[in-house]
Amino acid sequence: MNKPQSASMYESAKKIYPREIGGRFANLSKIATVTLLGLFYAVPWLNWDERQAILFDLPARKFYLVGLTLWPQDFPYLALLLIIAALSLFFFTALAGRLWCGFACPQTVWTEIFIWMEQWTEGTRSQRMKLDKAPWSWNKLRRKGSKQFLWITFSMWTGFTFVGYFTPVRELGTEIIAWTISGWTLFWGLFYGFATYGNAGYMREQVCKYMCPYARFQSAMFDKDTLIISYDENRGEPRGGRKRSVDRNEAGLGDCIDCHLCVQVCPTGIDIREGLQYECIACAACIDACDSIMDKMDYPRGLVRYTTEHAVHSETTHVLRPRMFVYGTLLLVLIAGLVTSMATRTPIILDVIRDRNSLYRELPGDVIENIYTIKVINQSDQARSFVVGVSGVDGISLDGVGDGNIVHVDGGGVLSLPVRARVHRDNAYGIMVIQFSVTATDDESDSIHEDSRFLGPTP
Amino acid sequence: MISEEYRGAKQWSRDKQAVFTVVWISFLVAAVGTMVFFALFDPVDLTGIFDDDLDIGRDAGYAAGFFFFWVLCALCSGVTAYLVRTAPKRDAKHREQ
Repeated sequence: MNKPQSASMYESAKKIYPREIGGRFANLSKIATVTLLGLFYAVPWLNWDERQAILFDLPARKFYLVGLTLWPQDFPYLALLLIIAALSLFFFTALAGRLWCGFACPQTVWTEIFIWMEQWTEGTRSQRMKLDKAPWSWNKLRRKGSKQFLWITFSMWTGFTFVGYFTPVRELGTEIIAWTISGWTLFWGLFYGFATYGNAGYMREQVCKYMCPYARFQSAMFDKDTLIISYDENRGEPRGGRKRSVDRNEAGLGDCIDCHLCVQVCPTGIDIREGLQYECIACAACIDACDSIMDKMDYPRGLVRYTTEHAVHSETTHVLRPRMFVYGTLLLVLIAGLVTSMATRTPIILDVIRDRNSLYRELPGDVIENIYTIKVINQSDQARSFVVGVSGVDGISLDGVGDGNIVHVDGGGVLSLPVRARVHRDNAYGIMVIQFSVTATDDESDSIHEDSRFLGPTP
Repeated sequence: MISEEYRGAKQWSRDKQAVFTVVWISFLVAAVGTMVFFALFDPVDLTGIFDDDLDIGRDAGYAAGFFFFWVLCALCSGVTAYLVRTAPKRDAKHREQ
C-alpha cells in the first residue's frame, strides 16, 4: 500500500484555494465566526466589581469567573466542566454530525477570518491562483505584503488577547506600550500568536485531516439518523454538462451538471459526490454552491443537502433514539451535579497537619498535648471570622488560637496557625481520631471539618 | 472546467504527518497534564524541594512544567510512532508464502 519512502518524502500537499461562495450556510458561518471570535476578543475587557470579569490569574493561583472565585482546590469543578464539554460534543455529533467542525471549532473560525483577509488582499480564487503562479512583481509584493501585514497584526492581537485571559488585560495594554511587559507574558503572547498564524494561515485543512483526533473518531458517534451533508446520487446521476435549454429527461441526464463548483468551494478539497468522507468538516459550502447552480438551472435546490442516511434511502429518520437518551441523560446528570455542588460549595478550606517531630508532650497536671498546624483559607472576597473547634475525645480543648477560639482571615487570604490540642491523661491512650472544624461566625452553615490524629501514651 | 488543483489534492507525506501529529497531540496532552499537575502543586512549593535558593517564580515554573510535559509526551508518542511505522512486516510475508 505504502509508496517507497524516498518517493513520498518529497511529496507536499497541493495548496487548496477555496473559492468564495455566498448563501444560507455561508451567512450562518459568518455569524458564527463573528460571534465566537467577537466573544474571544471582547471578554477579557469586561469588568465585574472593578476587576476583570473572567481572569485566570495563574501567578496568584485564583480563577475569577464573574462573581465566583475559584481556587486550585476547586479543580474538580473544572474537570467536571471539561467532561461535560466532551459529552456535549458527543451528543451534538450524534444528533447533527460535525456541526462543531463546520461552525464552531477554533481552527475553522480562525481559518475563516484568515481567508477573508486573503480575499481582501489577493482577490478571488482565480486571482489568487494566478498571483501565485506569476513571477514576483511590484503588484505581487504589495498584495502578498499587505496580506502578511494583516495576518501578522491579527495574530499578534490574538496572542495579546489570549494572554489577557491570564494577566489583567488593561495593565497588559499599558505594559506593552511602555515596553515593561514581563518576559514570560511576551513569550506566551508570541507563542499563541504564532500558532494562530501557522494554523489558520498555512496548515488549515491539514490540521483537520492529519492532526485532529476528533476528526478521526467522530464517525463512532454517527448512525443512520445523524445529520450529514450528502449528494443525492439518485437525482444527480448520470451527471454531465448541458446547455440551460436542454431538457434533462430527453438528454438522459441527472440534475448534476458536473460544474465542479462544490469541489472548488470545499476548504478540505474533497468531492462530496464521492460520498461521506472523513475529511468533510460539514461546513456546508458545497450546499450553497450547488443551490446557486440549481437556482440558475431552474432545478429544485437540495441536490447536495443536509440529510440523514435513512432519509437518503427514503426511510424514516428518528431523532429520538437510544443513543440520544444515553448521551442526554448522562449530560443532564453531570450538569445537575455540577450546578448543585457549586451552589452548595462552602467557601472555606481547612488543612490540618500534625507536627511530625513529636509524638506527644506531657504537661504538668496530667495533661497530654499534641501540636498541629492548621491552615484556614477564606475563599470569599470579604474578610470573615471563624470559630475553630476540635472534637472526638472527651474533654479535648484547644490552645493557641486566641480569644474564644476565633480567627480572622482576609478576603481571599490564607491563615496558617500553630495550635495545641490538650486531653486529660485519663482519656488519652494510643492513636485516636479527632476532628477539627471551622465555622463562619456570620453564617453557621458555612462550616467544614477535617480529621486528624491525636497520639497518647500506650497503656 | 475542472481545476487541476483539485484532482487528488495530494496528501502530506507520511513523515510530515507523523511529525506534526506527534508535536500537536503531545502539545494537547501536555496542556492537560500541566493543568492537572499545577492544580495540585504550586510551583513555588516545588522549587523549594530541589534547592532552597532556586527562586524562579510561578510564571517560569508553569512554563518549565509545560515544556517538560511537552518534551516528555513528544518523546513518548514520537518513539511509539517511529516503532509502529518501522516495524518489520516479515510476519505478514511469511503467512503469504
